[in-house]
Amino acid sequence: MRAGAKDIAPILVGIVPFGLVAGAAVIQAGLGMPEAIGMSLLVNAGASQIVATTLFGSGAPLWLALVTALIVNARMFIYSTSIAPVLSEAPGWLRPILGHMLVDQNYASTMTKGRFRDDVDVVPYYIGAWFALAGVWQFSTIAGALVGPLIPSSWGLEFAVPLVFLAMLAPALKDSVAMSVCIVTAVASALLVPLLPLQSGLVVAILVGMLYGAWRDRPGTEAETP
Amino acid sequence: MSAISQFWVLIVVLAIGTWLMRSLPIMLHGHVPHPPWLERFLKHVPVAALTALVIPSSIYVHSGATYTIAPARILAAGLAMLVALRTKNVLATLAVGMGVLWVAQWGLSALG
Repeated sequence: MRAGAKDIAPILVGIVPFGLVAGAAVIQAGLGMPEAIGMSLLVNAGASQIVATTLFGSGAPLWLALVTALIVNARMFIYSTSIAPVLSEAPGWLRPILGHMLVDQNYASTMTKGRFRDDVDVVPYYIGAWFALAGVWQFSTIAGALVGPLIPSSWGLEFAVPLVFLAMLAPALKDSVAMSVCIVTAVASALLVPLLPLQSGLVVAILVGMLYGAWRDRPGTEAETP
Repeated sequence: MSAISQFWVLIVVLAIGTWLMRSLPIMLHGHVPHPPWLERFLKHVPVAALTALVIPSSIYVHSGATYTIAPARILAAGLAMLVALRTKNVLATLAVGMGVLWVAQWGLSALG
């Protein structure tokens, strides 16, 4: 478990502003500390928490806040399908818990680092990474509920979130196929995220990148890729 | 129903829905077929997902459904990308990205 926590440590700095924003959003929507803590523990998915809370606070109908947040989280079904073979050594009773632990950072760290390490078992690695993430997430959500509304939005703290994902992305661009999947997804997300309703652009852009990558790797093309 | 109870309904339903989406494939692995072509489709998901999480918030700021192009963010994310590719260091990437964002925001507001 220690190896997973250690690999995720540099990323934790980027969780703090994310948690601050999520905690502050709950207070700004007119709710309290129990809601901020409960939401982070039970939902455990930052982007969807901020989306759902903001919509709720702006007076949108409950179903709309819910559907939008669920669409934002639909990418986790793809993550889960993709990481399932990597976590296949886990016994049946543990798997529902491993599912709850599946977040962007843990998925990316396990898929781009943990599974390639010969010196550690991947299941404890994944669990350790989540405990580190969830501890910082909970702590920073509470801090955000307390002081978040005082932080000026001009500081742009939430920009730390894509920066951390960027730092995780760079080492994964190992070959020309990965590079072109990145470019295609970049164009798709830049165009689709502002255009598609209910925040569905994110998951559609991931699907576009995924399909393009599968097409690049189609049988009979191995010779082309260096 | 009070706003607080409504919000708890939101939390619980969102939690259950999210848990089902993120858990079912892990739980069912080995009980349902996992054909080789599926691997080909899933191979590039990490790169696609990280890219889609990075790009929109590196180009736009948004409030609700209104997206505005943010030149300071584009510059900051571009330089941070160079640092990320060069150093593969998370903290250096964060420091350069946030630093450039603040300088660029200050510079643009001084200009305009």
